[in-house]
Amino acid sequence: MTTVMTRTTARVVVPIILVVAISLFLQGHSHPGGGFIGGVLTVAAFALIYIAYNLDYLEDGVLGREVEKEESIGEHRTVAAYRRLFMFGLVVLVASTFSGMLLGDPVLSQYHRSIHLPLFGEIELASALVFDVGIFCIVVGGLLTVFSVVGAE
Amino acid sequence: MNDVIAIAPILMAFLTGTTALLVRSFPRLQQIVSVAGTLGYAVTVATLVWRVVFASDAMSIAYQVGEWNAPFGITLVADGLSVFMLTITAVVAVYAIVFSVRFIDYRNQRVYYHPLFQFLLLGATGAFLTGDLFNLFVWFEVMLMTSYVFVAFYGNSSHTAAATRYVVLNIIGGAFMLLGVGGLYATTGTLNMADMARTVSASGTEMGPVVGLSALVLVTFALKAGLVPFQFWVPSAYRAAPLPVVAMFAGATKKVGIYAIIRLYFTVFGNATLPTTVPGIPSDSLLAFLAPVILVMGMSSIVVGGFGALSCDSLDGLFAYSSIGQIGFIAVAIGIAAATTVAELRHVALLATLIFALHHALTKGLLFLATGVIRDAVGTTQLADVGGLGERSPVFASVFLVGGLSLVGIPPLAGFFGKFLIFDAAGRQFAAHVTGDTFGAASAVVVLIVLLLGAVLTILYSTRAWMGTFWGPQTDVIKTGTVDSIEVLILGTLAVLVICVGLGFEPVYQFADTAAEAAVDTDGYVKTVEFGGEGA
Repeated sequence: MTTVMTRTTARVVVPIILVVAISLFLQGHSHPGGGFIGGVLTVAAFALIYIAYNLDYLEDGVLGREVEKEESIGEHRTVAAYRRLFMFGLVVLVASTFSGMLLGDPVLSQYHRSIHLPLFGEIELASALVFDVGIFCIVVGGLLTVFSVVGAE
Repeated sequence: MNDVIAIAPILMAFLTGTTALLVRSFPRLQQIVSVAGTLGYAVTVATLVWRVVFASDAMSIAYQVGEWNAPFGITLVADGLSVFMLTITAVVAVYAIVFSVRFIDYRNQRVYYHPLFQFLLLGATGAFLTGDLFNLFVWFEVMLMTSYVFVAFYGNSSHTAAATRYVVLNIIGGAFMLLGVGGLYATTGTLNMADMARTVSASGTEMGPVVGLSALVLVTFALKAGLVPFQFWVPSAYRAAPLPVVAMFAGATKKVGIYAIIRLYFTVFGNATLPTTVPGIPSDSLLAFLAPVILVMGMSSIVVGGFGALSCDSLDGLFAYSSIGQIGFIAVAIGIAAATTVAELRHVALLATLIFALHHALTKGLLFLATGVIRDAVGTTQLADVGGLGERSPVFASVFLVGGLSLVGIPPLAGFFGKFLIFDAAGRQFAAHVTGDTFGAASAVVVLIVLLLGAVLTILYSTRAWMGTFWGPQTDVIKTGTVDSIEVLILGTLAVLVICVGLGFEPVYQFADTAAEAAVDTDGYVKTVEFGGEGA
């Protein structure tokens, strides 16, 4: 699939997908969207890169690192990073779940506050976003691990 | 009333699972975290049981997650029925995880075994505690995700085939449930189970769609419980998964299906009235539709499970089929409870359901773990290859004997009371119909005959398992294999527990009595949830 056409398409489409993913992710706590759907879209962007280039492209093409040939895909540095992302997401979820309890409110309680930024205007800071970050990390980490491992076979 | 103890078991399993994942580079520590977390889980469940059932000011507890009041937020409800099921789960989980540490190969334990186990526990716990229909679906999925991995855990072709079957079936089942839940939401305008109970009890709700949609949901519950005609995933999945996890499947996740049927039909739809003309069932509620369906499912499960177990040539396959048959007994008891309008008989039948569920979880847990001991010792569970194990390890033989006898239903073991109560309920059902209604009497006789047949089949296949494994001349593998004494010790305590439940039956009965009471107490359930805020 690494034809010029797919590469060019990927180059144009991937940034757009990522921007849409981020906007969906950011508005998630009060509009349709959220960590899950943002995460899935992000994974779609990554999947497109994987199809247009290859599994090692992120390592040597973007980050400019040497790709080490490991004996199995499970040991691959990128996959290990995805797994860590998954764990990080889970930890954020746990922290977000318990923080409400520590403040004396029920589990999973969320808080929000509006602040005023110069030029930007009114902005709403919601603790639900932290929870969404956790979900985002789990979805991205988990799905990309599956994609890379299955894709390598 | 927002008491954190109601959500504590969920948090405990969640926290343990995450911690176990974080410390996976240190296998020893991971085992300690996992076992300690499961013990902590058991402690929270025990506390919850004390608060809900046994304390002097015992009462059901509701928890509004994230301060979103019912019916808009997600409510967790810990009443007698929930905590009874949680107790079963906790006991099985503790034994399964302790046994796992010893039984599962050291390298296999490192492959996310412990985090997955905790998340399986989390899924079951959430399903038992939630008071929200959609949330129930979510917990089902949590449970399933981990089950998929466990069925495929050993990764051979047969395991992968079993896992594929399991995944496909459960995705279809999940779609059915989602359709049903969505439809119920469209019909009643709420997902909160207590609120739904209020809505369907009130006159003016269209009941026709509720009947049909609840049938869709029932399909998923029956699939989860492994009732005929949705039983075919059970044998292959049980043979594929690691045996301690199979003990969890039989003890906890199957019971989630049973629990969901009881909760939805008896608690939520119990007060709904609608004119029915189901022959032989003098009832004017939704239960009249459930009764014939679940009775037939239960009876066919007993027959299929019994004969399947008789014809199986490996020990784990035998117990997997036996598990289908035993769930059939539970379903028949639910059917009797649904078919009657007499409050007392319904209570007895539900009590029988719960006691049998408890007995099945303990006994079948014991037997599956015992199968694990045999596999560990000789590397196979084919009945043809093992034999004469009784001579080799008399202690292990007696542990297995306790399990077998309890399965058959010999007093004073736990199994006796389960079977006794089910026959009691079936007998009363017959007695209630014997004057007058011929169809009702005839169907009650059929139920009794099938139950008797099931009991005979149980005796036959238990005897077959016992004779094939422990009697006869020692085979070569038995002569060379060694029975792990620590595993036997763990199982020994479980066997003692099975005996103790039978001997000290009084508190168990009292507990199950409260649970059966809670199952039909729709008003109490609605009251517990306490619709707060402007939404009430």
